[in-house]
Amino acid sequence: MSTSPLTADATQPTPHPDTSPTLAPAQRSTAELLICLPALAPDALPYALQSIASAFPSESVLVACAHAPENSADFPSLDLIPYTSARSDVGWILAAGDYSSAAQLALEHNARAIILLGGDTAALSTPNALDPNLLRSLVDCLRTKNVDLVLPRFSIGPNDALVNSALLYPLSRALFGADIRFPLPIDAAISIRLAQRLVATTQRLMALNQGSSLLWPVAESAAAGFSVRDVICHAAPPTPPPPATQADFNALFTSIAGSLFNDIETKSSFWQRARGISLPSLQASAPPPIAELAASPEIHSMIETFRLAQDNLQEIWSLVLPPQSRLALKKLSALSPDAFTMEPDLWARIVYDFALAYHLRTLNRSHLLGAMTPLYFAWVASYLRFVADDPVRATHAIELTAAAFENEKSYIVSRWRWPDRFNP
Amino acid sequence: MGHQLGQQIGSALHQSIHRIVLVLASFLPGILAFLLAVLVFALIGWGLAALIRRLLIAVRFDERLATREAPGSTGIITEWSPSNSPTVLAQRVTFWLLVLAGIAIGISAFDASYAEDSRYTIFLLPYVAHIAGAILILLVGTLLARFLARSVLIGAVNAQLQYARFLSLGIKWLVLVLSAAMALDHLNIGGGVVELAFGILFGGIVLTLSLAIGLGSRDLVSRSIEKTMEKPAAPRPTEIPTRTDTDTPPRLRHF
Repeated sequence: MSTSPLTADATQPTPHPDTSPTLAPAQRSTAELLICLPALAPDALPYALQSIASAFPSESVLVACAHAPENSADFPSLDLIPYTSARSDVGWILAAGDYSSAAQLALEHNARAIILLGGDTAALSTPNALDPNLLRSLVDCLRTKNVDLVLPRFSIGPNDALVNSALLYPLSRALFGADIRFPLPIDAAISIRLAQRLVATTQRLMALNQGSSLLWPVAESAAAGFSVRDVICHAAPPTPPPPATQADFNALFTSIAGSLFNDIETKSSFWQRARGISLPSLQASAPPPIAELAASPEIHSMIETFRLAQDNLQEIWSLVLPPQSRLALKKLSALSPDAFTMEPDLWARIVYDFALAYHLRTLNRSHLLGAMTPLYFAWVASYLRFVADDPVRATHAIELTAAAFENEKSYIVSRWRWPDRFNP
Repeated sequence: MGHQLGQQIGSALHQSIHRIVLVLASFLPGILAFLLAVLVFALIGWGLAALIRRLLIAVRFDERLATREAPGSTGIITEWSPSNSPTVLAQRVTFWLLVLAGIAIGISAFDASYAEDSRYTIFLLPYVAHIAGAILILLVGTLLARFLARSVLIGAVNAQLQYARFLSLGIKWLVLVLSAAMALDHLNIGGGVVELAFGILFGGIVLTLSLAIGLGSRDLVSRSIEKTMEKPAAPRPTEIPTRTDTDTPPRLRHF
């Protein structure tokens, strides 16, 4: 097993393939599959390598990782190359620099398929943290179904990944027609065709030393006409513990929502033309009995934040939201916690209005996203009441939200094209 | 006797009107020169601004500037440009710079045409410059006050502070009072009185805020201490995992 001295640093601008320092073909490792690992601690690396080796026992795999050992005789089928993963603004999510460096390495080593692994390094530092079945299914889907991007659909609880359920999944599905449950992936498998496109997409970011920016591969693939799939993963996502303080939460929320709105702005010419996916429509079901939910302190706390915002942020919301939405919010704030329900179509319109205000720069963007946070809490409170810790009801609620975003797509298209017509 | 007195009054009035007309006659060319200079420079500014706008649109200045900013970042130039367009910003800056130059040259022309009594111009010229500076201070102060007030309001609401609006208003008026005092000081109006009044007002606002927050939160603090002693406090939306039992998995995960 040879260890290539070639190093890709995802935090630094990546040179163009034609101008990069290349090795002689005899020295360069080649394999059909390239797997890029996050920056694991040296003592956690053998666990990850063990998982990869057991996932691909009869295949030569190129593994790009930090702290690559000089001699890894324990895993003869793995060829280790040094690589530094980017640390994205969100930490455990794959960054633009990760995609760029991985694509670069794949092109240099003639790999045909790439698996990019992200996740919280602490969560991945235990034995069996990396699921061999997930790795296998990602690659199988990529190869056998001729797909360009395969993402894992992690198994989550009804109260997990709420930002994803409220914002990322519905927007991605409605605007880009991609029914991918986690459009901001922790792990991803990409084809060489998509890798080449991502090199071009991230070139400007890397030139600006912005390798830590988030990238939205699902939207990128949809805009390029590439196929995207997700595969079921029965493991929980390797995410870090939730933010400890409100300030940490705000920073994360602003970073992710801002990046998504920016991507929507960049690809506006695509999603205004794109048709959504056609899924069977769902009927809204009645919320569970109120008595079960009334005592929840989380719901009370979120509703309290929303009411405080309703009393204080009217001046800012009036710049963003049309009168009918503000009236609906006023009525919502008057409801008791036991009857607190935000309709999915209202939430969809609010998100679309904020996306438009982000595009139009109606007010300072950090202020805009900060003013959206209490509305998100209102949605979460309504969602928690509806779901009542039931996974089936959670799936149903998420489906209803996504369907509302699809139904209201004409609203965002109209407002995007003629923003003044709808202004209060 | 009465007729003579009437004649004297009429003569005095006639002389007064004559003097006023003379002053006006000597004053009008200066005003005319001033207005002409402003008008000419405004026209030049309008033409130059239109030319710059065409030029920048032709070279796709906005797009080039946008490509130099990272996606998702709030570029300073774009953020502060009207209609999100740095081209419009450049156009307006050009126009108003030319108008300001016209005003300055108009004042010089006024000075030249009204040279017989230089007392006015000696007093007026530096004062106009001070007025422009004071207006600028007020403008920047107002913008800063609005920005800070919004930042504090949103931050306080998200931190679940019940007195968010009060805090925001306090910050806004602190900055406004500060900028107003700076503007008056710049104009040399009031002198020590303004400084004294500013000190009293500024200190008063700070003291009011401190007292209001301190006294207003007294019950809140005591309730919070009581709750902490009796049972765990109600968690904030994002603090559930840290407030509750750390051995059990968090009930809510936003990300």
